[in-house]
Amino acid sequence: MSVRAAVAAFFLVSGAMVCGAQAQITASEWSDYSNRFVSDEGRVIDDGNGGISHSEGQGYGLLLAFLASNKPDFARIWSFTQRELMIRDDHLAAWKWDPNGTPKITDVNNASDGDILIAYALALAGKDWDEPRFTQSARSIADALGTSALFSHKGETLLLPGVHGFGADDQPDWPVVNPSYWIFEAVPVLAGLAPDNQWTRLSESGTALISKAAFGKNHLPADWVSVAGTTPRPAEGFPVEFGYNSVRIPLYLMRSMDSDMNLLRRLRDGMTGPQGAVTLIDLTTDQVTAELEDPGYRIISALATCVLDGTRIPQDLRVFVPTLYYPATLQLLALAHIRKDRPECL
Amino acid sequence: MPMTSIKTVALGAGTLLLGTFVVAQERYFPAAGSQEIWHEITGSAEPTPELDVPQPMPTMLAQTSEVETKPSQPVETQNGVDESALRYFARKGDTRRLEIEIARLRALYPGWTPPADPLATPPVTDAALEEIWELYSQGRLSEARHKIAERQASVPGWQPPADLTDRLALAESRERLINASDLDQYATVISVASQNPQLLTCSEVDVLWRVAEAFARTDRDSRAYDAYRYILSTCDDAEERLATMQNALQFLPMPLVDDLLALERSDGAVGEFAEIRDTLARNAVAKAGEDKSATVPATTLDRLKKLAETEKLPTDARLLGWYYYNRQDIEAADKWFRMALSAEPSADAAEGLALVLIQRELYADAEELMYRWRDDSDDTRVVYLAAVANLLGLEPRPLLSGEVLSRIVAEVARSRNVEAARQLGWYARAFEQHATAKAWFTSALGWGPDDEPSAYGLALTYQLLGETAQLDQLKQRWTGRSERIQLVGVAETEPAPAGAAGRSVGTAAPVTPPAIARIVEPNTAPAASSRRANEGSGAKRGTGSARGCSNYTNPERLQPSAALSHGWCLMDADRPLEAAKAFEVALRGGNERTRRDAAYGQSLAYLRAGLVDNAAVAAIKAPQSGKRAVELQTNILDERARGAFERGRYAEAIMALDRRAQIAPERIDLMVLRGYSYMRLNRFGDARRVFEAVARTGSRDGIKGLAELNNLETY
Repeated sequence: MSVRAAVAAFFLVSGAMVCGAQAQITASEWSDYSNRFVSDEGRVIDDGNGGISHSEGQGYGLLLAFLASNKPDFARIWSFTQRELMIRDDHLAAWKWDPNGTPKITDVNNASDGDILIAYALALAGKDWDEPRFTQSARSIADALGTSALFSHKGETLLLPGVHGFGADDQPDWPVVNPSYWIFEAVPVLAGLAPDNQWTRLSESGTALISKAAFGKNHLPADWVSVAGTTPRPAEGFPVEFGYNSVRIPLYLMRSMDSDMNLLRRLRDGMTGPQGAVTLIDLTTDQVTAELEDPGYRIISALATCVLDGTRIPQDLRVFVPTLYYPATLQLLALAHIRKDRPECL
Repeated sequence: MPMTSIKTVALGAGTLLLGTFVVAQERYFPAAGSQEIWHEITGSAEPTPELDVPQPMPTMLAQTSEVETKPSQPVETQNGVDESALRYFARKGDTRRLEIEIARLRALYPGWTPPADPLATPPVTDAALEEIWELYSQGRLSEARHKIAERQASVPGWQPPADLTDRLALAESRERLINASDLDQYATVISVASQNPQLLTCSEVDVLWRVAEAFARTDRDSRAYDAYRYILSTCDDAEERLATMQNALQFLPMPLVDDLLALERSDGAVGEFAEIRDTLARNAVAKAGEDKSATVPATTLDRLKKLAETEKLPTDARLLGWYYYNRQDIEAADKWFRMALSAEPSADAAEGLALVLIQRELYADAEELMYRWRDDSDDTRVVYLAAVANLLGLEPRPLLSGEVLSRIVAEVARSRNVEAARQLGWYARAFEQHATAKAWFTSALGWGPDDEPSAYGLALTYQLLGETAQLDQLKQRWTGRSERIQLVGVAETEPAPAGAAGRSVGTAAPVTPPAIARIVEPNTAPAASSRRANEGSGAKRGTGSARGCSNYTNPERLQPSAALSHGWCLMDADRPLEAAKAFEVALRGGNERTRRDAAYGQSLAYLRAGLVDNAAVAAIKAPQSGKRAVELQTNILDERARGAFERGRYAEAIMALDRRAQIAPERIDLMVLRGYSYMRLNRFGDARRVFEAVARTGSRDGIKGLAELNNLETY
């Protein structure tokens, strides 16, 4: 920890000057995050999920380290990610890493959102930091996703959630997708790296999907959606729920700066409780299954309110105090976005 | 620098090995074509462009000049040789890595000589770099990456030594390769290996094994072979060489394994792969023990024999036992199974020896041996019951001890074995225990409703007991399925009990000798309970009796000599009426010898079937030798006497006995029969004379006869 403290102190003093670019995440915020959720070996720990790691977490870790302009931590997280997760024959990341597993990878399947996050962060770092090896790795993943995960259905370009387990043989209501896996801001970047694939059409399809996936009286998307019929339906075999997956959809839409205001309003209205908490909702019964109070969740609603109505972000949501891995990640992504693209919200 | 010490310290597959590539393998560099071999193994002609690292042997030497043009490094001496790692290891007192590093630099730069005192110059000035080396050497690769980037950020223009970044990239690749291998991601294993050929050295044999496995698992045996061959041609560690061969055994087909075995190094008399050759010999003989068509080279067989004799492993002896048993070398099989059993009692060896004993017709020994193992497996049970069935079917019927008989009865009843139950029926019949015979035949038929011989035995028993209604029902059930069952009771001479000819039965009279009383009737448990799947199937590995004629063959189509053999085979299978037909075919067409044998066989068959008159006719169809003729005639007259007695025709019985007495001495049992016949004809004087003669031989039957006579005379 003493080394960590020294590193943090170093960046507090000189980070901005040395790194040049204006960091969207402060050195202090990043060191609070990484001290809490990133191990010495570069493993991003999901402490709300039994301390396992996954490709999504490694992708978020890389993206946040990039947004904090922290090359050393980026290098550390990538070293682990490459050695431990990037072992699949098809060049995608194995999604689940359990410190108590033997081998540590306990599910070698991929998760397409994790792959997108990793490739996106590598592409950004490779370009901004002039590191060809990161760009090369980003391109390899973008190509592999284009080959294995992007697919056409009824004229739409869609994203397979994982290479295994989501085929026509596995799902009675195939195809099944996860709308929260559309990380819109990454799409044009990956399209630039892998121009031969269908990346350019993915955003359009994603927005259309989320617009049509309006279930229950709150008109919210389910975490898992079947697009087998003429209109999307909640997928069979999954909870019919606006759940933890979906809460990040409006954040991704806003970060992409290409959001449809009516869609954003519908999502904000549907997911926000009376006190500003984010609500998870059973879309069959319209019952609230959880009220999420962490600043990391609340800031998504608050940010949407700012974008829609011009209301500034409340002070308490601007302060980063890490709670759990997932909301802490969402809060830093929101804060980074506000500082870069929505300064009027502060 | 002693080469062996380097080899020794460079080991430890499975743990993180840092900086150990290129370890003094110069001695074993393939002289020519090595580069092609290398590319063959890795499937890559070029290392990745982004990793500008020194090449391993053998291509490394060719690229020395490129290496020397690398950007200048912080710690350099002698024409740009980077000695920072060397000095770091020297300062840490890590002599193992120091020696490896010296070897590596020597291989890279042939003109370079190591510093006399690596600690002397230059002085340590870069503590931060020292810290990164420390992280690297502890395998904390992410943190080393972190420190390098951190220093680059804080010291503008600072570049890490290429040696450090190369080694770091290599160590990361190594871990990635191992992780991919652990998860069966073989394409990744091969691509990482081909991009990092420096990993493929004798100091990383574990990596080479994983690469070979990846090739083998993706149907590229020849490339897997190349990798194994590379190790065996190049690397010296004895344990690793042995393990390499074991790996190859697991993944490669035998012809390629044989090629690799040729690379064996020998320390005097014993080759390093002796253990593996032993295993291969065992595997080959084991396989041939199950597959009769497999051939085993004589050298392989000799190797295992020698092993079995020197190391005395019962498992080896058993393999040989089965090998010879399945090649009908009963003598050799006997020897090896006995050797296995004496080293260690086991069901497998007992089963083998029991089968050998059955082949040698030593059924009582087989039964005795297998009794202990009868419940070990389905196989041992089948073999035990085969021994039992054969033992009971022996002619003359053996007199079994009470102990043996009662355990046989218990096992047959428990296992609901059709063949053994039927044989118990014949056995009981031979000892005139017809109620018991009926019970056993009934049981056998209940467990195997399609077993014709059991039905036939039952039919004969019904007939003998005068149970005509049951006999008619039985015949009706077998209409169109068995000619001989239909003939029971309608043939000119009615069937008599078969079998016990020649044995000294106490009496044919109602008196029950003690031995016979031990034939216990079967449990008449409900047939619906627990029918065994293999019921009625007989012994799987050959009972010796039914072998060869279990399928129906029309004897009319056979050559006389074949028909003769078939006839004997059917006799062995206790199917005398079919045997009689086969002998008939042999009688019609054969040469004198065949005809004589066939006539003999046919009369025995009719005797067995209880058709005594037919037997008498058959006996004169061809001239028999004097001895055979007497044997046949006495047997025929035996049966006639018994049959007549059973049917109450006592005068006919005495006539038969008289005729018999003209050609052969009368046995005690027949004298007893004669005595009772006289008694039934009220010729008490004659009866007394006979019983007194019998009693003088010490026979209890004689004394009993006299007692019964006395009772009769009293009234």
